[in-house]
Amino acid sequence: MDISRRLAIGELKEHKRIYAVIIIVIALTMTSFMLENAYLNYMMQVVDDTTKLVTSDAAIVDPSCNLRDLYGTEVELKNAGEIAKRIEENLPGYKTTIRVTAQGTYGLGVKGEAVDGCTIQGIDPERDNEITSLADKIVAGRFFSKNDSILRGHTPLYIEIKGPGNLPDFVYGTSERPLEGDKPYPIIIGATAAKMHPSLGVGKTISLTMSVSGKETSYATVNVKIIGMYESGTPTLDALMWFMHADSLREIKGYGEITGKDWHIPGVGTFRGYNPIKVDRDRGDVVLVKAPEPLHKLNPIGYSEEVKEKVSSIFPFLKVYSWHDFLVYIAGSMQDVVTIMLWGSIAVTLFLCGAAIKYVMDSIIMRKTREIGSLKAFGARDRVIFKIFLYQGLVIGFIAGILGVLFSLLVMYLVNWYGFNVEFIAGTQLKVSFIINWLTLLISIVLPVVLSVLAAAVPAKKAAMLSPVEALRKGELSL
Amino acid sequence: MSKTGEPIIKLKGVSKKYDEYGVVVNALYEVSLEIFPGELVSIIGPSGCGKSTLLHCMGLLDRPTSGKVYVDGRDTSKISGKEIALFRGEKLGFVFQNYNLIPRLTVLENVILPGLIMNRDPAELEKKARVLLEEVGIHHRADHKGVHLSGGEQQRVAIARALINDPVVVLADEPTGALDSDSSLELMELLVELNKNRGATTVFVSHDVEIAGFGRRTIALKDGRIVGDTREKGVDFKKVLKKLSTNSREE
Repeated sequence: MDISRRLAIGELKEHKRIYAVIIIVIALTMTSFMLENAYLNYMMQVVDDTTKLVTSDAAIVDPSCNLRDLYGTEVELKNAGEIAKRIEENLPGYKTTIRVTAQGTYGLGVKGEAVDGCTIQGIDPERDNEITSLADKIVAGRFFSKNDSILRGHTPLYIEIKGPGNLPDFVYGTSERPLEGDKPYPIIIGATAAKMHPSLGVGKTISLTMSVSGKETSYATVNVKIIGMYESGTPTLDALMWFMHADSLREIKGYGEITGKDWHIPGVGTFRGYNPIKVDRDRGDVVLVKAPEPLHKLNPIGYSEEVKEKVSSIFPFLKVYSWHDFLVYIAGSMQDVVTIMLWGSIAVTLFLCGAAIKYVMDSIIMRKTREIGSLKAFGARDRVIFKIFLYQGLVIGFIAGILGVLFSLLVMYLVNWYGFNVEFIAGTQLKVSFIINWLTLLISIVLPVVLSVLAAAVPAKKAAMLSPVEALRKGELSL
Repeated sequence: MSKTGEPIIKLKGVSKKYDEYGVVVNALYEVSLEIFPGELVSIIGPSGCGKSTLLHCMGLLDRPTSGKVYVDGRDTSKISGKEIALFRGEKLGFVFQNYNLIPRLTVLENVILPGLIMNRDPAELEKKARVLLEEVGIHHRADHKGVHLSGGEQQRVAIARALINDPVVVLADEPTGALDSDSSLELMELLVELNKNRGATTVFVSHDVEIAGFGRRTIALKDGRIVGDTREKGVDFKKVLKKLSTNSREE
């Protein structure tokens, strides 16, 4: 074994108590880092899963839309099918899906006395599921199937309200009943909505009034049958967002070849009916873009912006929102601030640990000056002395890193085993869970090693540069 | 190994100045001397006369301000800073006043330490260390920690350690400085014996006349200058001591 390593091990043994304290402090810092990071990873994963139900990696909308419109008030995106196709052609590995959206209001109870709202996302089940994995989030009932009556076969009650200037001259009730005997459209609702309104359940049929075009203020009331219930991990979103088949919404919104006759409502007037309609699958309100899995998962925000930039470069005239834009819209920069604070607090603690290592080694070197002088007299070169202290830093950092990882794994195991939940809205609970990625694990070991090696390098250099005579003399003086 | 008849250590006009708080101190002044193979040399002089500085210059622990130091025929001023450590480890053995054993190491480990620094084979070193410990009469404590030994025993270990790399010369700085008189005498007898049996060239520094008397050659140092050397014709130990005291009176 290298003489420096032999002597370093001896030093470590001799000062095991003080070094143990430093190791524990660093290990606990790394434990806290690992736990916070792993919880943040979990939260990010949940947020990622949830917000990506709305935006995927990027969402393309009509230039007149804003972020708020992602909740279902977009106007039709012209040439949606062409846009989706061009993205897949120009950006290898990218996937797209077209969505048709609306905002809904539903009545509950016999007389429809309870009223709540939701955003309805019309999805192409197969394609959308590849991007959002919605099917995996179903907690009751089922996902869409081919046997579902996606198209009702005749136009819903569809009313255009037109008035002078911007004001409507007629406002129709939002919970108008559909025609009797109407086949309901299948719908998947969020678990939180069901918790807030216990009468909502799988198999139940309700009437839903939709604002089918955000900019033109037109409404339709339809029957929907709840076929499934999903849970995304973010209860607030599950209260708001419901999923229908895109073709159902295309039919409701009239996205297709209209062959129907006009409708007459006694006492109200005659309105244009879209029944029956041959839906056009190239029409929709939003194109969702899914980018290939990023290599740099540590920085999903940066990747999201990258995807947005790439998509924007193909369609500079359209509005492209990244997943991060939407995240900032719903949560502000909270997530970013938490991440910065986490790294900041770790940096401060590690800096203090580094300072502690440096000062402990400084004091050891002060006491060991004569020993260093003797080693030099026996032929030890500067680098031998340097390495003695550097090895100590290396061992301290490595042990601290490993212990930190082990401590945090133990805590994570215990929390998962106990099942720790936090109360959220409407009796829903937020699960406390962790996701460890290899990068976090690597950082938790490498960071303390780098830190303690750097902290040890300063006193090590000082020790190495001591002249043998000075070292022997100072050693004598210190006794 | 040293060349027969050639000096093992040669100092030519060596001066050493220190700057202590802005005051220049002449620790050595134009010192020239030669140490030959097999010699047992004592350097005597009062405190602060430059004995240790002289030993440090001979031992390449310190560089002279001017003049040259030759070790085993090589001009050490031409050896680079990095190489000097290796050269020192290879050619010189040191015994310090306070033994400087590494407390956490055993006696055996302390003895082989300079050999390990020179990257020598640990098994060979251990074998050799045991022989040396036998020679210095401390083999029965080989596996004890250095700190558990008496001062005299620790200094014996230090002597064995100084010999582990077969140095051309052993330099001892006040080897009995921390010992009681009985232990001091025993230790000096050991040095004499090693010098006689092994032919180990030894230079030691002492301010104690009785201890210095163990040297077969004595050099007297006063205010950084050599004032007497028993190697000179007609100068014996008594005359050297007399020169020391005369110089003191003259001052």
